[in-house]
Amino acid sequence: MEDPIKEEAELDQLVICPKCNTLYQKVPLPSGKCALCTQCGTILYRYDPSYLDRALSLAITGLILFVVANLFPLIRIDLLGNEQHMNIVESIRQLIENGYYIVAIGVLFMALIIPGMVLANYIVLIVLMRLGIGEALTRELLVLLSHLMPWSMVDIFLVSILVALVKLTGEVQIHFGVSFWALILYVGIDTYLTKARRIGTLWELRQRIYHG
Amino acid sequence: MAKKPSKRINVIRCPVCEAVNVDHGGAILCHRCDSHIYREPKHGIGRTWALLLTAMILYIPANLYPVLNINNIIDGHSGNTIMGGVILLWDQGSYPIAVIILMASVFVPILKFVLLLYLLISVRHPVSESKALRHKLYYLTEVIGPWSMVDVFVVSILTGLVKFDSFKILAGPGATAFVLMVFFTMMTALSFDPRLIREYPRKPSQKKEKNR
Repeated sequence: MEDPIKEEAELDQLVICPKCNTLYQKVPLPSGKCALCTQCGTILYRYDPSYLDRALSLAITGLILFVVANLFPLIRIDLLGNEQHMNIVESIRQLIENGYYIVAIGVLFMALIIPGMVLANYIVLIVLMRLGIGEALTRELLVLLSHLMPWSMVDIFLVSILVALVKLTGEVQIHFGVSFWALILYVGIDTYLTKARRIGTLWELRQRIYHG
Repeated sequence: MAKKPSKRINVIRCPVCEAVNVDHGGAILCHRCDSHIYREPKHGIGRTWALLLTAMILYIPANLYPVLNINNIIDGHSGNTIMGGVILLWDQGSYPIAVIILMASVFVPILKFVLLLYLLISVRHPVSESKALRHKLYYLTEVIGPWSMVDVFVVSILTGLVKFDSFKILAGPGATAFVLMVFFTMMTALSFDPRLIREYPRKPSQKKEKNR
């Protein structure tokens, strides 16, 4: 083997494109700029020093919206004076009542438990990093976050609501509840936190906080 | 723009934290997050095949059985399969929604099966020379994966919402098969070891050494 044993610090200066696997050496960036892959244009990394503060305020807002979205009706429908309403919890309850336990478990985890865990994880993580304490715990939280994120499907749930409503148009009258607007805002925040920023960004910030 | 490193070294990206690690060939622990980057490649591919075949088998009942049961006092009882739902929406003139359902529930799973089959076959047989292409295809399977959940969510939303005495929508057995199918395709994509893309097909000289 001709591989030299690389120092960890030296390895942290490298980055591999997530899309096409091209290897790059990092260069210092001015604040707010990002580095793109020359092969496929994917964002490789960015320098965003104010990210932690922004992410914390967004995550707390997201948590409030998430609670609102699950406490009140998302949609109300009206058929000849009869009214019915639903939210995520109500859907799961109905699925269990009808004996579709596996579907219920799928919805429960992908649309409720895991998105909630991602948010809670984010808040604890950023608070710890802002205070500069709990180095070992932040590592565990970041690893957990990477394993949770592929299973959080609230954004797809939102699209599904719209699809479901189109199926019902003409048959019933549809009213949007307060939770619906909360859910839209929450999905926007969730997308920013988990999709628009790569998990590597948080690892780099963590490195900078605990190791200078 | 990041610049390319001058020296050629054998490195690998940690799937959990995106850190760059030196690839010694065997199983390694990520220097940043301590995750196992690789299990034994031989073990990895068997597991991935098993998960993929399970998902493909589940796709059959997911399409043959109704995902939706509609109980209407006027029209009586009717079951709706996925394709049936798409055709119904198309007939009603909801073309965009019909296309979304068709893409998410029919094309995305099939595309994922084809991509993963192609990647798994290309690990052992020289069907493709382009490693960059296969890296992009693998990235694609990760991105499109969760979108097949749209139909399951639509079913659960309708079940939770439409529960009048005269007009009831319930989930059907197809929904259970479908949610399991999505679970197993996601597990397949997560268990596929992207290092295999780089290692196989081996060069002829190396191939002889590996034969038992």
